[in-house]
Amino acid sequence: MYALKSVAGALGAGLIGFYLGIGGLGAVRALAGYDAWDTEMSITFGYVFGVIGWVMGAGMWGAWGREWFGLRTYDRKAPGWQRYFVFNTDHKVIGIQYLVTFIVVFLLGGLMAMLMRAELTHSGHQLFSNAQYNSIMGLHGIMMIAVAVAALVGGIGNYAVPLLIGAEDMAFPRLNALTYWLIPPVALTLLCTPLLGGIETGWTAYPPLSVLTNNAQILFDVAIITFGLTSILGGLNFVVTIIFMRAPGMTWGKLPIFVWAMFATAWIALLYTQGFAVSLLMVLLDRVAGMSWFDAANGGDPLLDQHVFWFYSHPAVYVMVLPGFGIALEMISHFSRKPLFAYRYAVGALLGILGLSGVVWAHHMFTSGMPNYLHGPFLVATELISIPTGLIFLCALGTIWMGRLWLTTPMLFALAVIFNFACGGVTGIFLADVPTDIHLQDSYFVVAHFHYTIMGGEIFALFGAIYYYFPKMTGRQYNERLGKIHFWWMFIGFNVTFFIMHWPGIQGMNRRIADFMSDLNTANLIVSLAGFFLGASFLVFVFNMVWSWIFGPAAERNPWRARTLDWQTDSPPPLENFPVPPVVRGHPYDYGVPGSVHALFPGRGAEEPPRPPSTFPGAAPAPAGGGGGGGGGG
Amino acid sequence: MKANVIAAVVFWAALTLVGEAFALSDLFPAVGSDQAKDFDHIFRFLLFLGIPVFTVAVSVIIFSLLQFRARGPEEDGPAMRGTGLPPRIWLAVTGCLAVGVMIYPGLTGLSKLQSTGSGFGWGDTDAEIVIKATGQRWFWSFEYVGQDVTVIGNGREVVLPVDASIKFEVNSIDVIHSLWVPAFRMKIDAIPGRTTFMTVKTIELGTFADQQSFRIQCAELCGLDHSAMESPVRVVTRAEYDDWLASQKSK
Ligand SMILES: [Cu+2]
Ligand SMILES: [Cu+2]
Repeated sequence: MYALKSVAGALGAGLIGFYLGIGGLGAVRALAGYDAWDTEMSITFGYVFGVIGWVMGAGMWGAWGREWFGLRTYDRKAPGWQRYFVFNTDHKVIGIQYLVTFIVVFLLGGLMAMLMRAELTHSGHQLFSNAQYNSIMGLHGIMMIAVAVAALVGGIGNYAVPLLIGAEDMAFPRLNALTYWLIPPVALTLLCTPLLGGIETGWTAYPPLSVLTNNAQILFDVAIITFGLTSILGGLNFVVTIIFMRAPGMTWGKLPIFVWAMFATAWIALLYTQGFAVSLLMVLLDRVAGMSWFDAANGGDPLLDQHVFWFYSHPAVYVMVLPGFGIALEMISHFSRKPLFAYRYAVGALLGILGLSGVVWAHHMFTSGMPNYLHGPFLVATELISIPTGLIFLCALGTIWMGRLWLTTPMLFALAVIFNFACGGVTGIFLADVPTDIHLQDSYFVVAHFHYTIMGGEIFALFGAIYYYFPKMTGRQYNERLGKIHFWWMFIGFNVTFFIMHWPGIQGMNRRIADFMSDLNTANLIVSLAGFFLGASFLVFVFNMVWSWIFGPAAERNPWRARTLDWQTDSPPPLENFPVPPVVRGHPYDYGVPGSVHALFPGRGAEEPPRPPSTFPGAAPAPAGGGGGGGGGG
Repeated sequence: MKANVIAAVVFWAALTLVGEAFALSDLFPAVGSDQAKDFDHIFRFLLFLGIPVFTVAVSVIIFSLLQFRARGPEEDGPAMRGTGLPPRIWLAVTGCLAVGVMIYPGLTGLSKLQSTGSGFGWGDTDAEIVIKATGQRWFWSFEYVGQDVTVIGNGREVVLPVDASIKFEVNSIDVIHSLWVPAFRMKIDAIPGRTTFMTVKTIELGTFADQQSFRIQCAELCGLDHSAMESPVRVVTRAEYDDWLASQKSK
């Protein structure tokens, strides 16, 4: 059992590392005349060595570490489902590892949301004390942020980018495996925070509160610094992969839009994630090493943290949303069977957002008491970002206009992304304009707004992408009827919950509270009930995925008749992705263009077009090389 | 194509009308200050502007769902690449909207709110009544400057006169808090080591008992009892205010 060996090895080596870290530190402290145990310092050291032990035990030692000492490396060649439990360097396996892990985290985070809404059904206290509520809320926040940052990028990005650009794998496969294997310790550490009193600071962890609060903060800090590390390494990997691993002929002008989105995203992750890590590192140093970055009484400045923190955390919004735009546009083009409208403008928009994302952070701080002269420039920069964002809408709406809309589950999710983000974009204007933001800042209006953009924009795209790639990933087809039930259930639940949620915000309900004013009872009860309805929709999703993965009918290689490279290989693809390396000729989205070919597989015959387009009847040969897609549905 | 465009525009106009009617509904809590009047006005203005934008997306999506539906991937649509004029027009329109909103109500509203470039807060730097508000986990204390009156603790009423400009000088002695009065539509963070301020002009009488938006509450997560960190506000006539001050002093 390779899987058992790998997981047990990771746990065992992780625990040994943990105790070695604590013991080693204790020995040094004891020698220096201090107590051997210092809660926060000991946990920090134990964690660092524990994580090193964990990744080494998971298989990094055999696949990578031995090399450092001149030894021969080896891979654990695990068969079947077991390959998902070892240090596997195949980007397709890593993508699925990411997806499954983060769906679990998403469901746990969703459970936290249900508990929060249960407490907020009525003013006064229902189920939880303030401490419990804060802890649940902090966990919900940081877990969902982690899902939003990593599920689409790490899951769909890892799976699809090499396929879309015709590459065999990512540029740095072992680094890729490392970024995944750092995730489980992060998740476990976060789940341990209630043992030390729970996260009291929300996911933003502003000092001085995060310096003064309980010991759970130390777990939060080390876990999120590790998480930032995976984000940076992943960003680096994507940038290098997209620059250097494209198939011959895959010029920048022919790059699928999702790859462009991932390119912009990866740069943001690579350039800005340090900000979050640094802000938490400074909190950690204040706590563990007694420094005073944020202690005003000792010359520190509490606002310093917010600048550093939002310097990352605003761009992080685009780490979440840009791949969502990318995959939604991708699906919209394939399912409208039209070229992507204004492709060049969409690329320009993605790069424009990348450029602007670094100069708007202080719009989160309009009421923070920063100097007055900063408000104007950040207001202007923030409003400017709506121009490139608007181009994404042009691209989506222009593509569906006059199209041949095939309303599969992934297409419905892609359209919902545009719908939801339109709402989230409009409410964003109220928050970008200082005169309205003064009242709305830190209210439920903000909560509703960012759920519209992040959940409505990105998480809907994530679910769409999961349905879209399910046949490719598993070789089986999901149940379309259940997929559509899930979509409408989630769409309605989501919109009722979060649209109504704007109202208590305008009325003055502040966020992150266990209790609220009694005049908002009705609105909150409706939001809670709609929230439970939304939460239940994911049961349909989980059932559909599990059942279809085991019992679903075999999928064709190209069930969507899409033109991009990912669909021109078997479902699931072989280890090397393409038995014959592709040579790219034409644009990926040239639907309705007679005779256009995206890619050729020399020696295997033309793969495009796989079936005759109506405008060009009977002109194309059936695709060669197996798969169930021969001849198409026409 | 032309018939589709006309139908879609009609659909958009109808949706927009419904949306704008919704924007007229009563959305706001009680108005207690001049700044609240401005806020409500600007909010509604942005809503009027935002709804047609939102309905562009909604109407194109719904119209396409109804009109351009296909059963499967049998047929390709027209090869419209979206080059030339359409994206440029779009860019010009969205650009004008963004710059317009940036100037009004953005920068113009901002200049009305800020009286100093280097200070840390909203409104005029001097006012008739100055109150030092200090945040502390998890209650506020309010010192009426020059009056020898201090209101400390949650649930204790903060009394303010109507038709007066009132400056809150905000501070914190432990973590970051934020002073928010929903009826005044104003908030500013309380930061250790820095004095921030907000000046409001009260224009209506009001009490917490009648309208819950007359309250001071903490709007920045400050730990355990953050949700309980609030004080009721009562805006009274000048005579009642003087009586109240006198009664507080005698205590
Ligand atoms: Cu932001
Ligand atoms: Cu507070």
